[in-house]
Amino acid sequence: MKHHLSVLVLFYLLAFNCPGQDLPKITFSPHWLPQAQFAGYYVAEKKGFYHAEGLDVRIIHPSVSINAVVRLAKGESDIISSFLISAISARSEGLDLVNIAQLSQNSALLFVSKKEKNIKSLADLNGKKIGVWKSGFDEVGKDLIRSNGYHVTWVPILSSVNMFMVGGIDAMTVMWYNEYDQIINSGINKEELNTFFFSDYGYNIPEDGLYCLHKTLTLRKEDLKKFVRATLKGWEYAKNNRSETLDIVLEEMKKAHVATNKAHQSWMLDKMLGLIEPGTKNVKKGQLSESDFHKTQSILIDGGYVKKKTDFNAFYKPVL
Amino acid sequence: MKLNINRSLASRIVFYVLTFCLFLFIISLSVFYFFSKKQMKEMTYNYAEAITNNTVLKTELILSPITKIANNYKWIIENKRLSSDSIFGITRKIIGNNPEIVGCAIAYESFFFKEKGRYFAPYSCREKGNIKTFQLGSTEYEYFVMDWYQIPASIQKPYWSEPYFDTGGANTLITTFSMPFYSMHGKEKSFAGVITIDVALDWLTDIVSSVKILETGYASVLSRNGTFVTHPKKELMMNQTIFSYASEMNNPELRTIGREMQKGKTGFVSSTLNGVERVLYYTPLPSSNWTLAVVFPKSEMFLPLRKITVALIFLVVIGLILLTFIVSRIVSRQISPLEIFAKSAREVANGNFNNKLPDIKSKDEMKHLHDSFEHMQKDLSTYIEHLKSTTSAKEKIESELRIAREIQMGMIPKIFPPFPNLSEIDLFATLQPAKEVGGDLYDFFLIDDKHLCFAIGDVSGKGVPASLFMAVTRTLLRSLAPNQLSTAVIVNALNKSLSAGNESNMFVTFFLGILDVESGILKYSNAGHNPPLLVHPDGTTEFFELTKDIPVGLFDDFDYGEKVLNLSKNDKLFLYTDGVTEAEDAEEKLYSDQKLIDCVRAHFESQTKDLIRFVAEDIALHVKGNQQSDDLTMLSIVYYGNQDEGSL
Repeated sequence: MKHHLSVLVLFYLLAFNCPGQDLPKITFSPHWLPQAQFAGYYVAEKKGFYHAEGLDVRIIHPSVSINAVVRLAKGESDIISSFLISAISARSEGLDLVNIAQLSQNSALLFVSKKEKNIKSLADLNGKKIGVWKSGFDEVGKDLIRSNGYHVTWVPILSSVNMFMVGGIDAMTVMWYNEYDQIINSGINKEELNTFFFSDYGYNIPEDGLYCLHKTLTLRKEDLKKFVRATLKGWEYAKNNRSETLDIVLEEMKKAHVATNKAHQSWMLDKMLGLIEPGTKNVKKGQLSESDFHKTQSILIDGGYVKKKTDFNAFYKPVL
Repeated sequence: MKLNINRSLASRIVFYVLTFCLFLFIISLSVFYFFSKKQMKEMTYNYAEAITNNTVLKTELILSPITKIANNYKWIIENKRLSSDSIFGITRKIIGNNPEIVGCAIAYESFFFKEKGRYFAPYSCREKGNIKTFQLGSTEYEYFVMDWYQIPASIQKPYWSEPYFDTGGANTLITTFSMPFYSMHGKEKSFAGVITIDVALDWLTDIVSSVKILETGYASVLSRNGTFVTHPKKELMMNQTIFSYASEMNNPELRTIGREMQKGKTGFVSSTLNGVERVLYYTPLPSSNWTLAVVFPKSEMFLPLRKITVALIFLVVIGLILLTFIVSRIVSRQISPLEIFAKSAREVANGNFNNKLPDIKSKDEMKHLHDSFEHMQKDLSTYIEHLKSTTSAKEKIESELRIAREIQMGMIPKIFPPFPNLSEIDLFATLQPAKEVGGDLYDFFLIDDKHLCFAIGDVSGKGVPASLFMAVTRTLLRSLAPNQLSTAVIVNALNKSLSAGNESNMFVTFFLGILDVESGILKYSNAGHNPPLLVHPDGTTEFFELTKDIPVGLFDDFDYGEKVLNLSKNDKLFLYTDGVTEAEDAEEKLYSDQKLIDCVRAHFESQTKDLIRFVAEDIALHVKGNQQSDDLTMLSIVYYGNQDEGSL
């Protein structure tokens, strides 16, 4: 009887309440503008997975110049997605954030260079101008270059591949799922490019994870659990319903006036779904490998980004 | 009947005319279509090229002054010693003087003006009709990493940014022209910053979207990266590059085209876009390195031609139907007299020569036919009339000839045995006349109790004259023979009588014999006649020896001789005319003297009548039914002699 009642209450909540009304609110910020990189969240929201968990989730994207970590620190977002490396940096800078789930298990980072620049090996990058995002995620590439003893000029870039296109830089740090394909979609053929995947040089470090402030974890652990559960469900749905997912992503992007197209988002979705798979790593989907954490932290320490080591168990607080 | 004639002849003519017209039409249309297509393609291409160039010109009218303005102010900034605050005024001035400019920044390198610190980028823009001016750079807006600053700074060249949407919220498409400027230290120059001019692209959209080629052809502007800056499909604008679109459409060809565009090339190309074969013409916008492309479906290029062709085919089909109708009517009308002619011909065949002919007023072949028919009718009528009278005349003559023959035959003795009381001889004769009245004759009679006169003759020629000559000869013989026992005298007299007044030069071969039945002495004269056969009782048979006497009637003073032959008992005489020996078979082979003598010899013991029958049968065997051309006359006499004497 009691069980029946709770079902009834849930039904009532679902059927008669306006979405979000009286439900615990969660503001989630992906760490970039809308794109297929965040397909799982849009799907979870659109297909009502968050709602079904009893959450009122609002997805608010950061602006071009203010990243998600800043939003989290300011308390504007409850949960953010962030690169592992950015999160460790932020924590070392005093932001009390914790990883509640690790989504991407693999590195999508690479250096790309036009063949006309004659950069055939990593060593050829020595002394060259390499574009890197101003907004972060620069640490891994920089560590890769530094650990090899090369010296390059890092050119901060906001977001586009235009600098690369006009030849203002010799190489550029890009995401396999994003900028690489943008370059292809700007008319350069893949056989005209040389690529240097970081994962091929021992830098297969995880990327997208879910973070919140430690105090949020303490106060709203159940909500976080629901959020992660629904999010994973969203990604699972995305994996099985790519075409529908793509439409959801495109709609999301259209709303935000972000220029894009189906071909690129389709490429991105495929790559993202691949990155989520742990592969040979000794973790399950959504979990953070301890060794990956240490490797990432050592990159930051070696690069001088981080002075103080963070304890894995203090950093990684899986809610599931 | 009329329908059948028309169907066969008229429809055949219509069919040939139509086939030829259709052939002519197909050839003409094909040639027309081929050349028009070529022409139309050329025209459309020229038009596309012209309209594209015109559009390029229009955009250049707006874009190229932008570069000039930037250049002018670059010069001012570089060459005038300007205070940092006066830069604000310059940005205002640039906007104020140029309505198509929506924003202008003059962004400096860090600490260029020491008093302004790290960020100094005076910026003016239009806002609700006013010009708003402020300093752009800040930690929040680090313009050094912005494309509009970083790229020209890096490549040290002016740069047209990829178009973007105005963050001001007006959803206006904007492009920024950035030009690096330098600070001059004598001859040395160092990079000092970037002057930018923002241009709203509404006008570009307006200009380009006003381009219409054929029915659905359109123009589109693509940025340096291949992004669709303007496109009739709004969802493509600023979302797709030609390359992402090519990938989405799975059209590698389009990607190749896009790369050609990026190289600043100009050209025509055909490609299948959205399942339709389209022609694409592209050319660069010189100021910005963007591309203007016009696209139109290939099928539309030939749409007017197709319409004309369809109309032509329609007209020709109508024309052919009319032609069929008219030609069949004309032909039917033209050949309709033929039916009457045909009817008339049948009537003529039935003997009706006065059948009415069609009334022909033209002077063509039909008139000739009419005249020929009329002539034929008249001729046939006359001919038949003539034939009728000729036939009746001929019938009359034939009837007369028949009577003449009957008379002729009536003159010849035909009762056998002729002298039943005369035991010394037996005699049999036949005259088998040929179809026409002939000139053969035989005769026999007793001059006195013991002298038998017999004769056989053949008048030259045939028909009535021969018959008459024969009758005359026979009558003369009968009148000359009595009381005369010399054949020579009789023949000479006969010759004199016949020669006199014989203007037609007729003659008769004549054998005349007088047999003394008691003594068996035969006196005879042979005037050019076939020698008779003498058959002895033992079967030996020979011809009478030939005389040199000529036929009777030729020369009145010819002297005919007389010969004497003693007949033994049971000797037989066989007389005949040349109708016997010259009887022909179908191969014109004569019966001949030899065959005659062989036959007579074979039947030497037969009675006179039988002997003649056997010879007649042998001749019939020889000619094998071939028509008899001459009289067959045979006379056979057997001399028994005095029976009493014989018995003694």
